[in-house]
Amino acid sequence: MKFNIPIGPQHPALKEPISIRLTVEGEVIQDADLRLGYNHRGVEKLAEEKSWIQNIYLTERICGICSHSHSTCFVQGAEKLLEIEPPRRGLYLRYLVSELERIHSHLLWLGVAGHEAGFDTFFMYTWRDREVVMDLLEMISGNRVHYAINTLGGVRRDLDEDLRKKILEGLVVLKKRSEYYFKIGASEPTFVGRLAGVGRLTLQQAKDFCAVGPMARASGLARDIRKDDPYAFYNEVEFDVATADTCDVLGRTVVRIKELFESYKICEQILRKLPDGPVAVKAPRKAKPNEVVSRYEAPRGENIHYIISNGTEKPERLKVRAPTLANYPATIEILKHGFIADIPLIFAAIDPCICCAERSVEMIDARSGEERTLRFSDLRRMANERRRTLPLQRNVAWPF
Amino acid sequence: MNDEQKIEKLKSMADPAAVAHPAPHRIFVGVEPGKLVALIGRMKAELDQWYVATISGVDKGESYEILYHFGDTSGSITVRTKIPKADPRLPSICGVIPGAVLYERELQDMFGIVVDGIPDPRPMLMPDDWPAGNFPLRKEWKFERPAEVIPGGKK
Repeated sequence: MKFNIPIGPQHPALKEPISIRLTVEGEVIQDADLRLGYNHRGVEKLAEEKSWIQNIYLTERICGICSHSHSTCFVQGAEKLLEIEPPRRGLYLRYLVSELERIHSHLLWLGVAGHEAGFDTFFMYTWRDREVVMDLLEMISGNRVHYAINTLGGVRRDLDEDLRKKILEGLVVLKKRSEYYFKIGASEPTFVGRLAGVGRLTLQQAKDFCAVGPMARASGLARDIRKDDPYAFYNEVEFDVATADTCDVLGRTVVRIKELFESYKICEQILRKLPDGPVAVKAPRKAKPNEVVSRYEAPRGENIHYIISNGTEKPERLKVRAPTLANYPATIEILKHGFIADIPLIFAAIDPCICCAERSVEMIDARSGEERTLRFSDLRRMANERRRTLPLQRNVAWPF
Repeated sequence: MNDEQKIEKLKSMADPAAVAHPAPHRIFVGVEPGKLVALIGRMKAELDQWYVATISGVDKGESYEILYHFGDTSGSITVRTKIPKADPRLPSICGVIPGAVLYERELQDMFGIVVDGIPDPRPMLMPDDWPAGNFPLRKEWKFERPAEVIPGGKK
């Protein structure tokens, strides 16, 4: 007997409403389908009618968590078109914010993963410590979410010595806490047992479906734009690309924790080497006709903007591709042959910010046509129930 | 593989005059729509280009320019092709790269381009009640806010 389960799409608090239709037999998902576009805002069309400087603030509003990623990706492309070179200090500050944003995004994700796996202590811990980095971002930029620090030709705010020290102190706290998370993950068998083997994406599948970011890296693909196609000064800083070869949610967790350490390393190098000088140069209003492909490693994977200028003060075309979209085809594959109770975990693992909020799930009995509505919290309860009843995978180890 | 080696290989696969190298790590190669799938197949086999970052469509007035952005561990290659606006048809590359399906569906929604052989031709981004024949990213398309009607309100 087969059931169809539509998940989503509507919830006013969601950044990314999405509808997933699942066909299940018993508890096993046989088929999955996706319907997007519930929050299509026409940003690409709108961008053609805004000036270069206005578009920074437009692109910043594409995402609510990695807001800096999109504006940075746009700005580094626009600067090439406007033929300006930002001063070194401006670049260092821009990518300092970008690494701090990666830290806050990964800590947020770790909390969500802990929550979906029924490990709420972990969720409380990570979100408490996330406040440290949020406060640092607020001290640097004045804002907690949309930092608005980018401008054409540099950044809008400078850093003083006092703040530099505060950031370094904050990083020490964060580093210590992250080491604890890494240890706790390794020494908590129920957590490891719940994540291991869930949502398998093989290396070949990751390649076929063009997965990006921690999804691809957890399947053993060492792809990171910061290494592969270094922008700004990333060829001068030392860091490693974190990978795992377990191909499951456990691997995605380990990759993100390891990336936290790499980001701390990068932040420390930036602050240690921070050059003196101005933070921005003046940008011209018009760009000569040209085109540019701008790539950026966002917390969720590769972010790509393709920008064409036409000699006026507005872009001719701005194409935006956010990393979550690139991970959808792979997610559909992962969902197939998974369990209903694993949906929250699998979805959390691509970090689409869908599971952060309460969702409504309607279950339709294929035979009788009878409908029953499940809230996302019920689904989560089912997931936690499964964790409790699951035979503990005792032989699973934390992949260091 | 560095840029020069990639350009060398690409020149043997496509028209050498259509290969451009405007910036480090950025290679552009032009191809006719008929030879697109063959070129991408060869790029995947010989240059290990299995990753399509996205597909961009651009309205160039009389024609559409379609750009396939590839990426690997040493930069990015962009394959560009042009199709006439009067008959916007494009072959699907999903046979070679299955992960490109969402981007091809996006092209169909936004430009009204017909992608031949796409495994999943359903609309992706536009609402179910979106009027047929409206393709927002065409330059001539302008958004007009429909007149607000209050149910039961004054005429």
